[in-house]
Amino acid sequence: MMNKEMYDLAARSIKTAKSAGAENCRVAISGERFVNISYRDHKPENIKEASTKGLFIDIYADGCYSSQNTSDLRKDALKNFVKNAVATTKLLAKDPFRTLPDPKYYEGRVDLDLELLDPSHNELTPEDRHNLVKAIEDTCLAKGGEKVISVTAEERDSYRESVVLTSNGFEGARESTFYVAGASMTIQDEGDRRPNSYNYLASVKRKGLPDPERIGAMAAERTLDLLGGKKIKTETLPIIIENRNVPRILGGFLSAMNGYNIQQKRSFLADKKGEKIGSDFFTVIDNPFIKSGLGSGLYDGDGFAAKKRTMIEAGVLKEFYVDWYYSRKLGWEPTTGGTSNLIIPPGKRSVREIMKDLGRGVFITGFIGGNSNSTTGDSSIGIIGKLFENGEPVQTVVEMNIADNHIKFWHKLAEVANDPWIYSSFRTPSLVFTDIVVSGL
Amino acid sequence: MKKLTRRSFIKTTTKASIAAAIIPALPWGCTNHTGADKSGYFESGFGINDNLCQKVLARALYRGGDFADLYFEHTIRNWLILEDGHVNQAYSTVALGVGIRTVKGDQVGYGFSQELTESAMLAAASTAATIADSTPKDPASQFVKQKLENYYPLETLLTSIPLESKLPLVQSANDKCFALSPLIIKVNAQFHDEQKRILVVTSDGTKAEDLLPKNYLYASVVAEKDGKRERAGWNLGGRWDFSFYTPAVVDEIANTAVDRVNLLFDAVQPPAGEMPIVLGPGVTGILLHEAIGHGMEADFNRKGISTFCTMIGKKVAEPFVTIIDDGTNRNLPGSINVDDEGTPGQKTVLVDNGILSSYMHDKISARYYKLEPTGNGRRESYEHYIQPRMRNTYMLPGQAKPEDVIKNVKKGIYIQSVSNGQVKIGEGDFAFYVSQGRMIEDGKLTAPIKDVNIMGNGPKMLRNITLLADDFEMSRGGGGACGKGGQAVPVGFGQPTCLVKSMTVGGLKN
Repeated sequence: MMNKEMYDLAARSIKTAKSAGAENCRVAISGERFVNISYRDHKPENIKEASTKGLFIDIYADGCYSSQNTSDLRKDALKNFVKNAVATTKLLAKDPFRTLPDPKYYEGRVDLDLELLDPSHNELTPEDRHNLVKAIEDTCLAKGGEKVISVTAEERDSYRESVVLTSNGFEGARESTFYVAGASMTIQDEGDRRPNSYNYLASVKRKGLPDPERIGAMAAERTLDLLGGKKIKTETLPIIIENRNVPRILGGFLSAMNGYNIQQKRSFLADKKGEKIGSDFFTVIDNPFIKSGLGSGLYDGDGFAAKKRTMIEAGVLKEFYVDWYYSRKLGWEPTTGGTSNLIIPPGKRSVREIMKDLGRGVFITGFIGGNSNSTTGDSSIGIIGKLFENGEPVQTVVEMNIADNHIKFWHKLAEVANDPWIYSSFRTPSLVFTDIVVSGL
Repeated sequence: MKKLTRRSFIKTTTKASIAAAIIPALPWGCTNHTGADKSGYFESGFGINDNLCQKVLARALYRGGDFADLYFEHTIRNWLILEDGHVNQAYSTVALGVGIRTVKGDQVGYGFSQELTESAMLAAASTAATIADSTPKDPASQFVKQKLENYYPLETLLTSIPLESKLPLVQSANDKCFALSPLIIKVNAQFHDEQKRILVVTSDGTKAEDLLPKNYLYASVVAEKDGKRERAGWNLGGRWDFSFYTPAVVDEIANTAVDRVNLLFDAVQPPAGEMPIVLGPGVTGILLHEAIGHGMEADFNRKGISTFCTMIGKKVAEPFVTIIDDGTNRNLPGSINVDDEGTPGQKTVLVDNGILSSYMHDKISARYYKLEPTGNGRRESYEHYIQPRMRNTYMLPGQAKPEDVIKNVKKGIYIQSVSNGQVKIGEGDFAFYVSQGRMIEDGKLTAPIKDVNIMGNGPKMLRNITLLADDFEMSRGGGGACGKGGQAVPVGFGQPTCLVKSMTVGGLKN
């Protein structure tokens, strides 16, 4: 439901901008009310609660463009802000490609309840929140036993709403809730090493999270798994990237599919549409319509009606992420400017089954540092994980690295596991790659 | 530099990412303070006086607590962006609000408000107060304004500089890059300026006001040669007056960006494995920041989760190694006249001739260790609570000549520039990305290298520093920000040429 106060503020700001000389503008008003509680040593470590509101305005004036935002929403202050913004926008160089989208792309918006609002959020009491965090902490401490040095358990929940209006007819509104709960744990290892890991899970609805005992236990298990970490000899091995860590690698690839990087000649994929850029296992679907999905929405940043898209199909690059502005610069048909929910269709086997089949390799459970070069496709990143032999984890590995060119790397994708990660907008299963140089000693 | 969508840009503006400058001089709704004067800004513009502060602090302590503080902030950030030959994008953000903290032992209650009205502030203070549960505590009845040094004097506010004066700066960066090499096919340039005004008022009766400028000029180039493309960039900046941005500065940025990109066409990925590393002077200090500095932030040590938590007073490096964290350097990005909880900017020796001598403290950790705070209490904005954070972190020079340091290595890597550093505090393990460097073969610099990650362990690396040169430099970039606990703050770093006995190079081949 459209928040009338926000709607009126947006409409008034458009009017102010137009009367100050803007031909067009887009105004978004967003607000959030959140609570954040953390516990350490069986007592609250931090309690934080606040409401925020902000106005964002894109101004198109005399062929020039600027974008502004402010949290100072006092009436006179805002009026001056918008007027000054229009005046100074006109001092910039003209950009013929910078316009509001053709309204035809606003059309066709699906009428669907994406279930982004948890109706029980209003019923959440301070006691509920404290009890949730205490239960996570207790389980984590119990599971960690004598090894524990420190545990911090935490929850954050929020209610968010936004209204977007444009001067050429777009109207959009959104209400959503968001929950994160988890814990971070540090334990004593040999010598001075104090391994730390964490488990934070996100969901649109509270019931979308596992029970707190499971959340805490997962944090403890992930941390205990790091005991005895060491570097091993540099070797070419199969690797399995854990589901929740796949976005870090996939994100580097996706950046080269972005219209900005393509138009600015910073994409190694710019001329690869329709070509095979990965193995047959490499399929990526962008689906904004998943109910209660963390990336779900009925319109994108330009106001385009959301669509489900197959971006990569059996290793063939099908689509780019091209927003309105860069579509005009490229002379291409626009798609959408960014990802919604990303799906890699899951396979049939579990990670453990795949490990048994592979015999020896590294199961990557974390990344550290690193970089992905969207211009060349070269990537290098530090890894943390488990060496497995005869299908069983035998040694925690740290201070190691993998490096490859993205296209070569994705051609080495040999299998997709059956475990899509549902606590992120990137719903990725664990992925198996062969012949990867794992650098260490 | 990655393109951000409009929405994601808004979320990450404090992370020194994109954009350009159009906010004019006057803060909206405020009167008077158009100059670089720090005094009384919040009182004259927003009616924040001692009586009101006392009332809000009293509310923050109405359930007890050790102390409370108020952090008022009004920040204007501007970016001007050049793309495809024209300065045709401008972005700006305005942040106005107050953060209210109540502290009881190591527990923190925190509320903030974007409205600087009495009722809104009292509501936020009530939220902060929930951390305590004893009898009310009275704040001080008077607030004494701190006299502070000024490590970033300004002749004129950057927000008072007309847009017409900033536009040619960005345009000239573009033109110079294109003029330097026929291989250049794209240039992106941007000028960022930020003006942050803060007022800190504490329940123990101190108050401090500051005006923090931050700015940089950045150019990124894409070059094409024989069908291959490469990209590189460079920036200079800090807490400078606009007069810093001379044609010579623009030349240096353009020359460096173009030299770096041209070198990449001949670059190779080095072999993988352990080998000696020579870190060049200046920007490689990010390694010091990541690998060692974070582990010396006192919150990690107070909780026992840093690998350095048992090492105070112990030898952690050779006697010729001294490491300092410093808020008092003139115009550097990490310099602060006062920290965000009211402690004046200062210099802290972390490693003194090889001995770990101090952590970096905020008030909470200083009380825990029964020490004075070191002025490291920092936060991203009024929406965030204080953490111990680095300022400008650097290692003092040694005696050797840089060329002699390189001669010591038969086969290894020379690193000139790095980015994307990350550390695991408890283990001390770190990784960083080498954006520019060379192979060292038989004591000589040979082929350029690229796209490689370096891995190591902080305490081990510190012990493995075997030689320091006399060519100390601070990084002169202004766009760097350090992330911790979801907060980004500007920092600086530097060091001399330095030999580390062994680290892991994440190359392509066995």
